[in-house]
Amino acid sequence: MKPTKVGVLGLAVVIAAFLVVLVLSDGDAGVGARSPLLGEPAPSVVTTSIDDVPFELGRRKGSWVVFNFFNSTCVPCIAEHPSLLRFAEDEANRSDGAEVYTIVNDDSDGAVRAFFAANSGDWPKLRDADGAIAVAFGVAKVPETWIIDPNGFVRLRILGSVVDGVLEEQMADLRASQGE
Amino acid sequence: MTKRRLMWALIILLSIGMLAFGSLRDSGPLTQQDRIDVITKRIACPTCDGESVFVSRAPSAQSIRAEVARQVGDGVRTDDEIVAYIAERFGGEVLLLPRATGLDALVWILPAMVTVVLVAALWLAFRRWRQPVVVATSKRSLLVSFAIVCVVGLGGGVLVARQAGQRLPLQTATGGIEDSTASLLAQARLAGPTNVTAAIELYGRVLETDPDNVEAVTYRAWLIMLSARQFDESLRNQAFFSTITALGRAIELDPTYPDAMCFLGIVVYRDGGDAKSAKEFVDRCLERDPPAEVRGLVETLAGELNAELGE
Repeated sequence: MKPTKVGVLGLAVVIAAFLVVLVLSDGDAGVGARSPLLGEPAPSVVTTSIDDVPFELGRRKGSWVVFNFFNSTCVPCIAEHPSLLRFAEDEANRSDGAEVYTIVNDDSDGAVRAFFAANSGDWPKLRDADGAIAVAFGVAKVPETWIIDPNGFVRLRILGSVVDGVLEEQMADLRASQGE
Repeated sequence: MTKRRLMWALIILLSIGMLAFGSLRDSGPLTQQDRIDVITKRIACPTCDGESVFVSRAPSAQSIRAEVARQVGDGVRTDDEIVAYIAERFGGEVLLLPRATGLDALVWILPAMVTVVLVAALWLAFRRWRQPVVVATSKRSLLVSFAIVCVVGLGGGVLVARQAGQRLPLQTATGGIEDSTASLLAQARLAGPTNVTAAIELYGRVLETDPDNVEAVTYRAWLIMLSARQFDESLRNQAFFSTITALGRAIELDPTYPDAMCFLGIVVYRDGGDAKSAKEFVDRCLERDPPAEVRGLVETLAGELNAELGE
């Protein structure tokens, strides 16, 4: 075999390897985004709601917990709000319904209160004063939605807006996987 | 070279070496703010292009800076551990210095490999220009040379990656989260329904390092009582008294914790037969908004108690 052929063959193998890696790697968009936290115990979250009610995630073990990272000026957050409302309403009617919490990201209590007064949603809104909760979950942009199981393990991360039915579908899958 | 010249050369070499060491030596950060700056310069802002957390004014960068400042203030983690914490949450792409492991290592290995291959190719080309007639290399020797060059390049690249790449102490090969109290508690809860003995042991491990952990105190006591129900009366009685004491302690540690109050109500009625006291504990439990799993248990009991007490 000529040296040039060996070189071309080597180059082809390298390019093919890169293509295989590209094809097999998952993108970060859409339902079920990647995170090193998936399948791991959720980070500790100790904070207060905008109504000054203390909250500790460790105390919610035994319930499914849904965290929605939110900012009242973010357009996708506003767009997903009706879907979240429907989801929260459905869950409230179940005996083992998930507890929905809004994590306020870089926003004022007043603005959040005004948004929920205008658009409804009576679940607790939790303060994240200097972004400690966002950093603990690796949230860089809102909205993001996370699901934590009753044992305190992180089960799902959704990047961007949730569309109608997605959370319901994901919750059903997760409940089935937990044997509920 | 004479002995005298050799001495001078040695002195000059030593002086240059010491000067270089003195000027390049990193004296390390002097204040906490220096540490925060050093660490944030190693982390890329996750929402902006080509900016470090140190320079970026984006909200996500500010949050990371605040987290770094908090961890530096706590004084528990080293610089590398703090960077590892951030990288575990946001992924390897926030590391301004790529890692020496996994796919990131290609950033270090490929240039070294390409350099070695190119140098070898140049050497071969020059050799051919000088001795055009002698060059009658066989295919086999060419392939062997190519393989040697690749191995040398790869070895050099790995060496470069190990020396220059980011090494983060908290990360395992799979990027696992450190084994902490939270992790033990989560494992215990997972084991709870199917493997009570393992769960009791895991809660016990939590209590070894954190004796006042309310969740561990509560659930260990609850599981001990549940598993004792299958044994004779004397063992059940022993378990009953130790469980009541432990749950009482949990309530004392944190009067707002609903689970301890709920389990106390259940145990006082199911194992102690005292409906009146149980009702009081169950009511207090429900006031504290217990999680769904515990609420389900207590609501059933509340109905039974109401029926028995005629309410």
